[in-house]
Amino acid sequence: MNHNPKIIGASIPRLDGKDKVTGRALYTDDLKFPGMLYGALHRSRLPHARIKKVDTSAAKKIKGVKDVVTGADTPQIKYGNWRLVPGSQDELPLAVDKVRFIGDEIAAVCAVDRETAIKAAEAIEVEYEELPAIYSVEEATAEGAPLLHDESPGNVSLTREISYGDLEGLLAQADYVREDFFKVHAVSHAYLEPCSSIAVPEEGGRVTLYTSTQTPYIVQCLLASTLDIPENHVRVVKTQVGGGFGGKMEMRPWEFAAAFMALRTGRPVKFTLTRSDELAFGRRRHPMSIRSKVGFTKDGKLLAKDFEVMLDGGAYNAMGPTATFLCGTFGNMLYNFQAYRYRGRHVYTNKPPASAMRGFGAPQAAFAQESQMNMAAEELGIDPIDLRLINAMETGDVIPDVATISSCGFKESLEKVRQVSGWDAKRKEKKPGVGLGIGCFSFISGGVFNWFNTKYNFAAAEVTVYPDGTAQLNTMACDIGQGPDTVLRQILAAELGIGIEKIRLVSMDTALTPKADLGTWGSRVTLMNGNAIIDAAKKIKDMLKPVLFDHLDLNQIHEIAFEDDRVLVKANPKKSMSFGECVYHALRGRRGEPLTARGYYTPRDKGLVSPAFSFGAQVAEVAVDQDTGLVTVTNTYTAHDCGVAINKMAVEGQLEGAIQMGLGYTLSEAFVMEQGRTLNTSFLDYKMPAAEDMPPSTYVEVETYEPEGPFGAKEAGEGLAIPTAPAIADAVYQATGFRALELPITPEKVLKGIGRLK
Amino acid sequence: MPNMPRFNFHRPGTMEEALDLVSRFRASVKVMCGGTDLVPKMRAGVAVAENVVSLTRVPGLSTISYRDDDGLVIGGTARISDVARHPDVRRHYPALAYACDKMATVQIRNMGTVAGNLANAAPSADTAAPLLAYGASLVLVERGGRRQVPLEDFFTGPGLTVAEPMEIIEAIRVPAPPLRSGSAYLRVSARSKVDIAAVGVAAALNLDLEGRVIGVRIALAAVGPTPLRARQAEDMLMEQIPDHDLLARAGAACVRTAKPIDDVRASANFRRAMVQTLAQRVLARCGRLARGEDAQ
Repeated sequence: MNHNPKIIGASIPRLDGKDKVTGRALYTDDLKFPGMLYGALHRSRLPHARIKKVDTSAAKKIKGVKDVVTGADTPQIKYGNWRLVPGSQDELPLAVDKVRFIGDEIAAVCAVDRETAIKAAEAIEVEYEELPAIYSVEEATAEGAPLLHDESPGNVSLTREISYGDLEGLLAQADYVREDFFKVHAVSHAYLEPCSSIAVPEEGGRVTLYTSTQTPYIVQCLLASTLDIPENHVRVVKTQVGGGFGGKMEMRPWEFAAAFMALRTGRPVKFTLTRSDELAFGRRRHPMSIRSKVGFTKDGKLLAKDFEVMLDGGAYNAMGPTATFLCGTFGNMLYNFQAYRYRGRHVYTNKPPASAMRGFGAPQAAFAQESQMNMAAEELGIDPIDLRLINAMETGDVIPDVATISSCGFKESLEKVRQVSGWDAKRKEKKPGVGLGIGCFSFISGGVFNWFNTKYNFAAAEVTVYPDGTAQLNTMACDIGQGPDTVLRQILAAELGIGIEKIRLVSMDTALTPKADLGTWGSRVTLMNGNAIIDAAKKIKDMLKPVLFDHLDLNQIHEIAFEDDRVLVKANPKKSMSFGECVYHALRGRRGEPLTARGYYTPRDKGLVSPAFSFGAQVAEVAVDQDTGLVTVTNTYTAHDCGVAINKMAVEGQLEGAIQMGLGYTLSEAFVMEQGRTLNTSFLDYKMPAAEDMPPSTYVEVETYEPEGPFGAKEAGEGLAIPTAPAIADAVYQATGFRALELPITPEKVLKGIGRLK
Repeated sequence: MPNMPRFNFHRPGTMEEALDLVSRFRASVKVMCGGTDLVPKMRAGVAVAENVVSLTRVPGLSTISYRDDDGLVIGGTARISDVARHPDVRRHYPALAYACDKMATVQIRNMGTVAGNLANAAPSADTAAPLLAYGASLVLVERGGRRQVPLEDFFTGPGLTVAEPMEIIEAIRVPAPPLRSGSAYLRVSARSKVDIAAVGVAAALNLDLEGRVIGVRIALAAVGPTPLRARQAEDMLMEQIPDHDLLARAGAACVRTAKPIDDVRASANFRRAMVQTLAQRVLARCGRLARGEDAQ
């Protein structure tokens, strides 16, 4: 734990914060290029139909229109993030034979201005043969249901099964068994920046794509494959990104259309979506139908769990296969038990595709699991925190076939949240309309799986140091607003012993930064990129250390330290030189070759899921108006083990944002849909909580040291998005006696639940 | 965001000029002040006008004044936030102050006007219900004339009013509250703090020395094509002591007046239940205020 407390564990404001707050930061839609054209999409107006004819003649005649393309003009190569399983790649950039949801992209146009492009897109006429459509997993898996994809009988695109231990035997032997059914719904990522992309054509049939994405390398590869050009012909540059939350981790049709038409017209082409596009057609969190059966001994020991999930994937796989996989893993986290069976099915429906969203299967799994723990606790007559303590995972525990938990502060989190929330006293004192509830979480710090089938390391960093004492960090790590542009510089600064302000960052340009990076998802950036950076920095230090030995004629038993912009002899700190001077001398000996080193990280031999897991517990306090059914969250208390927090302010920011998302997921956000059409396509009617709705929040750190993490760090981004829903649901039950097994907990459901409304 | 269609933007410096402009362009003109309703509507293509006449430079139009003998006058360009913080509004018109405090967002309250909120004629308009309860009227002015229209005659449907294209809302006139009166407004919505009302109920109640109701107006928001007066409930309360049972029956009468629909914001069923709940709460609060009790 040899690190600089001024840097590691400090609260350092975002280095990009001022530019963002003052409006100087450039997002993709802020960029303009000479001769740039504006794109617009023609989307399906039916939820399920065969395309008989696409007539673009009227659109082409409109003055100012420069190109109109349909699926027939394109190479028609399917794509999807699961390159490892080509059969899972079920999307075409522009539909060819069929459309599968209202909003499915059929054609694209570009024109001299946006108005003309929109007019032209509307002038495209599609002749459809309408097909019967299905909107729920139950309908989709019923016998004789219409098929969305011929390759997927029963509309199930993927089944994931996990099984270990003697499930039936242990359930038979259990003193207490319960089975419950839960339903969770879709919500929008609602990132502040709607998607935007600009493709700029270059000589030699090459193209540069500026795009709002969290996975530039994935976009590069899939854009190249769908355009049928070499990967190296595509350069993807990430600009500032206004949030992603999992909604920007795939190549999307407008990225393809921009590049395809840029190459055809020889002019830059920009697409920018509207909020209404995002809400009507955008990616979303998977709705799930969940069945969970658990068995306990009478003193609260959890013996076995049977967990079955149907994910409503919408029209395409998107990141659904990963969600199906992870949901099973998360159903198996937090508690130790001897037998587990999971069956997850990813089901197609005629709705906009669901995909990755903050928590990636965990918020859904945890709503079921944590609600069920609370229900079981009540029936067993054991306090819910005590019941969790009886079963909680600890450092060194093994999840069969999945992982060994290398650090775990779950029990400490439970104890601390019990203390700061005043749990024991408040749970005893029963006041009508007021309640206190708990939910817990665990999350991965990046995945070890390689469904993208990358040939490169999962993370890479290139560090160059200069005689003026500065350094440059080149990395594909992807800051989409969560803060790695700051946190990764902290890690490099701490490792090299120089100030953060000394580091120039060049990030996320697939042509300039080292290959490769899987992007921002699965809470992987701090751990994986941090480790790659430390690897590079150590190589730099090894190049610098000889300078000191040479200059000071040191005995080879000495160790060298790097601190406060100096390089020094550990046992005798007076013997030192400045970092810059040290670089100067090292460079002299290299005959012109810069001091550059590359570092890499790929988790190997780390089980099936993740190299490290975060843990935590959250208590929510609510007041329920029993006449209106309105639930007000009056307080939240969170205890959180994210290993060593590299930047405390950033962790607290993640917590605040997670609570905001959790509130919306639990209480107010939902897509109102009718026959596959989304009716609430603005923030007026898509009820995302506002700043004024935020409850006070108390946060306790439970610090552990994660051996696999950079300076002991683990994830802090997604885990926090998990516990709020079960905690609020439990608090509502305590306040009213109404136990919500379906989200969201709307005022109407509360009133019906307490018998005040029919 | 689709680009707005082109239009001519006028910023007259006097009321005369403004009236000339709206008269000249009456075939396709919109009057604007804060633009918080109009601009999004024009962007979405829901509102179309070749000419937009902004009133922000017309002097004297944003005045808010109160006299005990004459009541409250809210100028046509008075901002919602200015109305909310006006001491006389807070003292004498708590239902209006509450609506102006809670509606929309701080940015919209700082830009939008009360007159604009009424002119937009949304069934859910937050200032409409309290102003109906107070018996407010609008002063509509056009070149060569003005007329005063009671607010309850102003709305004709969602987004529709009796105002002619060449008319401008010069002011909102609200009678001074009588002695022993109380007023209140409450709303519910899915998002607790920053939201459009799914249901709103306002009332103003006036008692005699014995505590009997001698004047009452109840207005319902977002449960019909326009904000509604709940006359049946009002009649039920007149000359009566407003005890708990009576208020419950008045609430039920309000529900009978309401014509709620199922939409993305709430079901008709839920809206009916909320009318009952809010009407009872609002009337109870009015009663406490009218009796001079602490009305927390």
